Amino acid sequence: MIATIAQWRGFKAATWLGWEISSNWTRPLMFLIYSVLRPISAAFILVVMYRVISGRAPGTTDYLAFLVSGVAFWSFVQYGFAGLSNGMAEDRGEYRMLKYVYTSPVDFYLYLFGRGLAQLASAVASALIVLVVATIALSLPIDPLRVNYPLLVVGSVLALAAVIGMAMAYGFLQLQAVDAHGYGELGASVLYVISGAIFPITVLPGILATIASLSPLVYWMELIRRSLLGSHAIRMFPTLSDADVLLRLVVTTVATLLLAHLVFSWADRRARRRGLIDMESNW
Amino acid sequence: MSHPSAVRIFLKTIVARAFPRFVGSYRNRTWIVTETLLPLIGTIAMIYVYRALHAPARYLGFVVLGGVLLAFWQNVIWAMATQFFWDRGQGNLELFAMAPTSLAAILLGMALGGAYLSLTRAVTVLIVVSVLFGVAYSTSGILPALGVFILTICALYCLGMLLASVFLFYHREAWHLADALQEPIYFLSGFYFPIRSLGAFVGGVGSLIPLTLGLDAIRQLILPGTPQFIPLHWEIVAVVGQIVLYAVLSQVSLRYLERLARQDARLILRST
Repeated sequence: MIATIAQWRGFKAATWLGWEISSNWTRPLMFLIYSVLRPISAAFILVVMYRVISGRAPGTTDYLAFLVSGVAFWSFVQYGFAGLSNGMAEDRGEYRMLKYVYTSPVDFYLYLFGRGLAQLASAVASALIVLVVATIALSLPIDPLRVNYPLLVVGSVLALAAVIGMAMAYGFLQLQAVDAHGYGELGASVLYVISGAIFPITVLPGILATIASLSPLVYWMELIRRSLLGSHAIRMFPTLSDADVLLRLVVTTVATLLLAHLVFSWADRRARRRGLIDMESNW
Repeated sequence: MSHPSAVRIFLKTIVARAFPRFVGSYRNRTWIVTETLLPLIGTIAMIYVYRALHAPARYLGFVVLGGVLLAFWQNVIWAMATQFFWDRGQGNLELFAMAPTSLAAILLGMALGGAYLSLTRAVTVLIVVSVLFGVAYSTSGILPALGVFILTICALYCLGMLLASVFLFYHREAWHLADALQEPIYFLSGFYFPIRSLGAFVGGVGSLIPLTLGLDAIRQLILPGTPQFIPLHWEIVAVVGQIVLYAVLSQVSLRYLERLARQDARLILRST
């Protein structure tokens, strides 16, 4: 019982710390404004690109909804993946505290999970604002009363577990480098291309499309669109039912978490052998 | 004992500040990878968006040229505008302020080195994406486009010098502000679509950023069929005007904000 309370306290502290670091101790409102500007602009870039090509013909809102929903929920990956994986390098190099966390009684996985969860708080606000603004401005077919919330929540919880798992493993891999500045964003950019967030993965060349179909993010994007847009959703997997897509999301998430655990354990052992956890890096 | 002239010190400062960036452009492998791949992957993602929409081939060219200038904009934001902010955090800014030279010369050196560094990354993006996706350009417009490109980069780095002084005023928000100057600027400058699509008002506001008109002019020269925002010669005149405007403004702003920063002890403030 006491051990559980200690772990819970560690988790809470990690979440709070993650929030403070990601906001750089700024005022929450300022942080929110800056955080929302990027995804809203990214959504409107895609909207203009689409309008330039397709004009304002009837039926174009369905594709706009495809683009906007992808960008809005992408914040979760951007913050969760890049934020957490960079956070590990920052904890070591900039704040020089990774070794203290690592040697503390708090489970390291739990600490990282808390650190990542704080990033997701920003993502929730960002996704909500983008969806609301875009739905109103572009008359998107999103009706809050008709959203399939259970599907949305289940899909998102699974995908976010996968994102945090990938970020932990990737973050530990980054510790192998003296200077991994920008690698978190780089990893998130690669995922962006193969996630189906802004275009159907069928557009990708064969091998990339195959790799993309092994990622849980593609099925998550599909479920987001189906749950938010219902019959208006443009489907990347038209032959699959909702249950089939959910099943694929479960399978790919479990596989991703297993792989992430293996990579994490390997990188952890290597980091301990080579003394990388308390290494001085040129921040 | 004779002292070097002020002009000599000014020029030597420019060279001295540019030097680490020339050398650093090849020395730090991590930065080579991220500075090249980030704009490259972003550009490729946008190309696939147009491919999914079955857009005409020239739209791929719009994206490639946007990706090329994106490398410069990222450099201006992260290595010009925020540089004094980082320098302050590391304790260098107070040394710069005490040195017998001007901050303007240091900024010019940063701009020179930064432009070279970004050029190496931008050329990679241009070649890789053009070859991968078979983007073709009008050869007759390449030389004039190069001229416009040089003018645009000059205006852009003058804006960067202006932003550097403004960032001296920021504390903990600086990082977020720099972050917020990415996608919103990609949108306002029409990095991935013709600026004309934004209409006169938004396009006009976006034109305050030198990239907007410079990019549109370059597109008009080497991608025939680009929807014209304003006539080409007016775009060139405007970019030249921006060089003068931002150069003057940056010097005025730098002196004013440096004085205020000294008064408020912000030159030695640690806020990173």
